[in-house]
Amino acid sequence: MREMKRDLVIIGGGPAGLSAAAAARQVGCEDILLIERDRILGGILNQCIHDGFGLHRFGEALTGPEYAQRYIDKVNDAGIETLLGTIVLSMDHERKLTVSSRKGYTRIHAGAVVLAMGCRERTAGAISLPGTRPSGIYTAGAAQNFINLQNIMVGRRAVILGSGDIGLIMARRMTLEGAKVEAVFEILPYASGLPRNIQQCLNDYDIPLHLGTSVIEVHGKDRLSGVTVAEINHFQPVPGTERFVPCDTLLLSVGLIPENELSAGASVKMASGTSGAFVDDTFMTSIPGVFSCGNVLHVHDLVDHVSDEAALAGEFACRYLDGGIYRTDTPIAIEPKTGVRYVLPQQVSGKSDFTLSLRVTEPSRDRAVWVRDGDRKVARKKLVRLHPAEMIRIKVKKEKLETAGKLEVSVQ
Amino acid sequence: MKRKELTCIVCPNGCPLEIDFEEKPAIQITQIEGHTCDKGPKWAEQELTRPMRTIAGNILVKNGDFPLVSVRTDAPIPKNSIFQVMKEIQSTTVKAPVSIGETLIKNPAGTDCSIVATRHVTPA
Amino acid sequence: MAKAYDALIIGAGVVGNAIARELSRYRLNVGVLEKELDVGMGTSSRNSGVLHSGIHYKPGTMRAKLNVQGNELMKGLCRDLKVKIQYIGKLTVAQDQVDIETLEALKAQGETNGVPGLEIIDVEKMQQIQPGVGGIRALHSPTTGIICPYGLTIALADNARENGVNFHLSSEVTGILKTENGFQVKTAEGGFFETKVLINAAGLYSDAICRMLGLTEYAIYPCRGEYLILDKRLNGSLSVLIYPAPRKGGAGLGIHLTNTVDGNILIGPSNEYVDTADDYACTADIIDQLKKEGQELLPAISTSDFIRGFSGLRPKQTPPSVKGFKEFVIEARKDIPGFINLVGIESPGLTCSPAIALMVRDMVGEKISLEEKGNFVTERNGFPGSFHDLPEEEKADLVARDPDYGEIVCRCEQITKREILDAIENPLGSRTIAGIKYRSRAMMGRCQGGFCMPRIVQILEKDFGYRPEDYRLYSPDSYLFTGHVR
Repeated sequence: MREMKRDLVIIGGGPAGLSAAAAARQVGCEDILLIERDRILGGILNQCIHDGFGLHRFGEALTGPEYAQRYIDKVNDAGIETLLGTIVLSMDHERKLTVSSRKGYTRIHAGAVVLAMGCRERTAGAISLPGTRPSGIYTAGAAQNFINLQNIMVGRRAVILGSGDIGLIMARRMTLEGAKVEAVFEILPYASGLPRNIQQCLNDYDIPLHLGTSVIEVHGKDRLSGVTVAEINHFQPVPGTERFVPCDTLLLSVGLIPENELSAGASVKMASGTSGAFVDDTFMTSIPGVFSCGNVLHVHDLVDHVSDEAALAGEFACRYLDGGIYRTDTPIAIEPKTGVRYVLPQQVSGKSDFTLSLRVTEPSRDRAVWVRDGDRKVARKKLVRLHPAEMIRIKVKKEKLETAGKLEVSVQ
Repeated sequence: MKRKELTCIVCPNGCPLEIDFEEKPAIQITQIEGHTCDKGPKWAEQELTRPMRTIAGNILVKNGDFPLVSVRTDAPIPKNSIFQVMKEIQSTTVKAPVSIGETLIKNPAGTDCSIVATRHVTPA
Repeated sequence: MAKAYDALIIGAGVVGNAIARELSRYRLNVGVLEKELDVGMGTSSRNSGVLHSGIHYKPGTMRAKLNVQGNELMKGLCRDLKVKIQYIGKLTVAQDQVDIETLEALKAQGETNGVPGLEIIDVEKMQQIQPGVGGIRALHSPTTGIICPYGLTIALADNARENGVNFHLSSEVTGILKTENGFQVKTAEGGFFETKVLINAAGLYSDAICRMLGLTEYAIYPCRGEYLILDKRLNGSLSVLIYPAPRKGGAGLGIHLTNTVDGNILIGPSNEYVDTADDYACTADIIDQLKKEGQELLPAISTSDFIRGFSGLRPKQTPPSVKGFKEFVIEARKDIPGFINLVGIESPGLTCSPAIALMVRDMVGEKISLEEKGNFVTERNGFPGSFHDLPEEEKADLVARDPDYGEIVCRCEQITKREILDAIENPLGSRTIAGIKYRSRAMMGRCQGGFCMPRIVQILEKDFGYRPEDYRLYSPDSYLFTGHVR
């Protein structure tokens, strides 16, 4: 087996990995290897052909492939080495990776690793969808892959379960490609996707959105013939509200799960609430020299934020290689409290400014997110609109952290 | 006097707009609330009088390393011409290579835009 | 033109395939008729995969005898066919004195049946075997094992095929005529077969086959068992199978947790009679109950650990009003010479299958003389076993020789392109997505095909010329796609 030593290995060539690589090179890291399992770079952006990416980063509404190309160009122009069609089979806590490709197996000892593997979709099996086992049930992302990358149409008459952005985007895509989308069903009493997507993916095409409703049974022996939907109260179907909706395709948009199999294998400490690694403000995990960013760290809503976060992770990884990462013995823990589902990072050194990312537990308007050290205000952000679907970011200044013991984040 | 609630789609903020407007003799907004920048009211006016959209799609490619090239309108088009524009996209075939940014269809369905490629497609 | 056989088996389940393989040792023309697009699509693939020891059956009964014999035969069979098997052992656990008496009776019964190694052990030994297990005593049966049930069913068919058995898939038997020298069989697809000996191994439809020959004394009552599959994250939580001591009138589903040979854990099965022999639906109420009882048995289970549910149908001979069990029917009908009839092979049918095959072989031997072939291929060739389980250096070697082993297609289960290609190019010519799944284990991981199915679709398109309308999930009408987008 081939063995090699590399300074910085980035696992994943999607938006996070690309941004981390470009940023690491920018701050002087010479030996970078980017590993991507697909035969092209760009990750999930390759199939997100709609626009809306890059409004923050570039001031333009780019499509997914265009956004990806900006970073692919950066990586290629910088001459950063990439391994395509290569998958990391395992990683241990000493940053030794075993990778596999058609060229063979290779063992790589990395000086630093950036985990940027993205996420996978929650499946019908994972939500224990009752009923028969016909063909015609797809996760929304898989359907998007078939339609946009493989020129394959998945069905003619669709129901979409879940009002997350990917479900809304696919409602529009299916409609534009000639399918009839009967409705989008969302189990929560509010939509999970961005309101602008409800507007331009559903309202524009008269596709109804039914909140507080879910698919409770699937029908059809060979191919899907329809679904039974019902109103949901406290996660239970309300008797008497069941109705049958004929369809031949069911697209599931019921959640994204960070793909942390590699991290688990290396015993990276995971955070509760994100399904991703526990990190500090350098994006370093519990394993020295192993960093995490992008959707594998926590599921993002805007790729612009992924790029920001990944750039920082790449820079810190480079700094780690130069011996310049400060890991304090007395980190400041950050905890989510009232109204906050999770915070990231989960601890900070207190020696530098940082951006706190968080998500709220429910929609509200005209509130503030408070970051406190006991009674002392450390940071506060007022928002007109708060929604679980939208990540909130608050800049925290290091001066405010000087005497901090523990930070608590809440909505008031 | 009429009232409409719309979500502004100019940026991801998706400000919820509450718009009071008159319909006769022409559409005129009398009051608007909910926007957090001045793009909102401009968009609301456009949306009520002549809603515009950008759309994305795919064009069939011959001899490429991908069967489709993803495309977009390079400028907003009237919402009610979406399906005609899609028809042109659906009935067009191009040959590899295609470069990102390349114009593939000019003025589809008579609209004031071009359909441009959003990815590279190299010959297979 | 009729296809003529010496022996024709109806049903390519684990029993039918075991019989086929056994008969393929001899100079016989053997055929198998299977109504589905692939083998093992009925009960054979849809069960706990447990190899029972034989302690539960009354001495002298067919089930007791065949179970113990089959359990013993499985060792060599799985070695030859490269099928995963683990003699993991079982603890039948007693909570009180009544239970202990039950265990003692089970032990005695097992010993009479010839089950080796049975021992009633105390708490200390129980904790050594399975830390944290409840109960005051347990009966340890070391010959209880786990196997890959669909892996075995497919492997038997592959090896039978290699030894000359013809498998006719998509061949649903619609009519049988008893002739002077044997039988004429026709299928829905217009097939026409002649055979000297006809073997009914049609499982859930064995009663329908009987009726085609005028036998009305058998009826199959499908009884559904639902399961939930747990994520491999919990692999290692159970080192042995754990069952409660059987009690009269127990509450709940009485379900248990079973390891699979691949590192998942199964919760189930439930018990519910259904109306048709193809009702594989999973139901909300049972799912909830399985989750609840599963979490009671293994508190470490979290909601994100459930990756899929499935169900299987038991071909019961006893109706809902009666319940319970009837003995296996494995008979050479005297009133219909040449007809070997198998009805109601539910649990422990999987374990018994190699022994049933020998029994049926003997019945065939009464009708036709059995001459052994000189060139019977005992081992399943061209199949390297599970790539994933090979040591890393061996894997690296294989990749160096065949780059398709280096291309991972199914990320969750780490299944390579070579294994996908082998599954597609299987000896039986079956081409469904489910068939690829059962042969390669792709799409069986956490993401349930989210990552790998688009890649498998692409392989079928690029390397096998598939058009969108050609793909089938498991049956002729289970199309995946409606056409090209452009």
